[in-house]
Amino acid sequence: MNPLAPTMFLRRNAGKTVPLVLVITLAVMLIQSIIALINSIPLSIQTIYRYTDAFLGVSPRLDPEKTPEFVKILTTNPPAEIEKVILCRGSGAQVKSIVGKWPFAVMAMDRPDIDYYLKRQGATGITGRYPKDGEPEMIVSEPVARNQNLKIGDIFLKPDEAENFSRMPVKVVGIIKAERWLMLSNKQYYADTQPIPIDFALVFTKDRTKQGEYDRWAEKKMKGEFAQLFAFHQIEKQSKEMFEVLYKIINLVIGVLVIVITTMMGMLMNIYQSQRLVEFGLLQAIGFTKQQLLKRVLIESMIVIIGGWFVGLAAARGVLMIAQATLMTPNAFALDVADPMALLYTVPVPIAILIVAIGTIWLRFRNFDPVAVVERRLV
Amino acid sequence: MIQATDVSLVYNDHEKQVFACNEVTIEVKQGEFLGILGPSGSGKSSLLYLLSGLKNPTSGTILHDGSDLQSLNDQQRAELRKKRFGFVFQQPFLLGYLTAVENILAISPTSKQRAEQLLVELGLKDKLHRLPHELSGGERQRVCVARALVNQPEVIFADEPTAALDHTNGEQVVQLLNQHRGAGSLVMVTHDPTMLNQANRVIGMNNGRTVEQC
Repeated sequence: MNPLAPTMFLRRNAGKTVPLVLVITLAVMLIQSIIALINSIPLSIQTIYRYTDAFLGVSPRLDPEKTPEFVKILTTNPPAEIEKVILCRGSGAQVKSIVGKWPFAVMAMDRPDIDYYLKRQGATGITGRYPKDGEPEMIVSEPVARNQNLKIGDIFLKPDEAENFSRMPVKVVGIIKAERWLMLSNKQYYADTQPIPIDFALVFTKDRTKQGEYDRWAEKKMKGEFAQLFAFHQIEKQSKEMFEVLYKIINLVIGVLVIVITTMMGMLMNIYQSQRLVEFGLLQAIGFTKQQLLKRVLIESMIVIIGGWFVGLAAARGVLMIAQATLMTPNAFALDVADPMALLYTVPVPIAILIVAIGTIWLRFRNFDPVAVVERRLV
Repeated sequence: MIQATDVSLVYNDHEKQVFACNEVTIEVKQGEFLGILGPSGSGKSSLLYLLSGLKNPTSGTILHDGSDLQSLNDQQRAELRKKRFGFVFQQPFLLGYLTAVENILAISPTSKQRAEQLLVELGLKDKLHRLPHELSGGERQRVCVARALVNQPEVIFADEPTAALDHTNGEQVVQLLNQHRGAGSLVMVTHDPTMLNQANRVIGMNNGRTVEQC
């Protein structure tokens, strides 16, 4: 047994050690939780619109008759083999997100196309049934049902609702078993009730991994045409750009937080080490070198700081799991409890505190005279 | 064993030079109990710190077994203090979070048996695993004595070890130091002549100089 082992001091002085660990724990927990929760905003948006990575959507801007012409352009000499083109109708609806309501598309297709589309979206089945041709009926996926609190038999689109409008009340007749956000209806109902017939096209590549490459090719090919394209990489880009300013503010806030915590920890470390001057003086007087004492104190500090960091990460994970279970999952919002970016944001905390601790301890030991302690001039 | 020749220690106090020790020549012989007696501020503690290598002289030389203490680096000097010297200070300095026996093991982690035996011999049989705050002042100083003795040092340096104790406890501590030092020398600084009854030799100090030898 070595009574001067670094862990011995920490264990026997838990009353002094634990508050230091707690300060670091709270700082790390705060930073990681804030970043993970903020990251959940673009992540939720990307999750809501993730279904668009399965196809390229094309809609005419001025002339509704132009869709077949656009399809011809998009299927001539593509960089990836085209497996299917679905011509569909659609309308708008609203879903809840962390930052308010977001628009969402109800896709109206013929039944064989619905089957293909659901397979492409990774759906594994359906509870209830598919919409009947010409009937005001729709199906939604599980995240949408959770988000909108929908059950089979509920009316989602209504004539008197501007946000979720339809000429007739549209009933949910099935819940799609899928992780993706999907709203589907039958094309015949839309053809019967929409006064202006606008078909838009969904183009699917045979190889899913080539869909992104195809989407970028299509954007170049369609430049100058009066058409609007929908591709997932656009959503990704927009969601990042949308929060660029927010992230700049966060970086500033986290930077200030790190400085405040580091300064506070530096002062705490200073007090902590000052309380141990007698110990250091005595040990140096009876035969320990400055290097041995410095090494011991540094190991102790590293245990406290790195320990606090790890406990902080675990605590943040706990907080985020609670937030996910109580707030995010019931609303189908996305949250990555192990967000690597949030983890990275916490790294400056232990590093900065360690630098301050090393600096403080080094200053203490630089001109330290053990005789001043044993003669009680420094006590 | 330890030979100090023309040793001076000078402090600068507000641009004025103060001689804590002024050209002191002294020898500590093998196995002797050397008392250094003097009033407060006479320089006796400074001399003790010079002889034990805790301070460097401004001038003069201090030899330990023929080697100059000033020529040793920090590591070598620390090793000397740890393995060949023992220290007892005015105050019973112990590490508050370690028990009596652990305080001794701090300086010699492999000597558990000897540490316990010493504490028993010093009358602390039932207090081996007590923390310092659970011990009286006299008991704490006895733990310090055990710590000083654990490595069977060649020289024990005691800087007014009785200063914080009552007379009876003080006498006990000196007696214990003298009894348990074995073949080692004991250099004890004090302002109380009654504590040096067992000393082989007593050197007086005043104003940084040795003034008499008994």
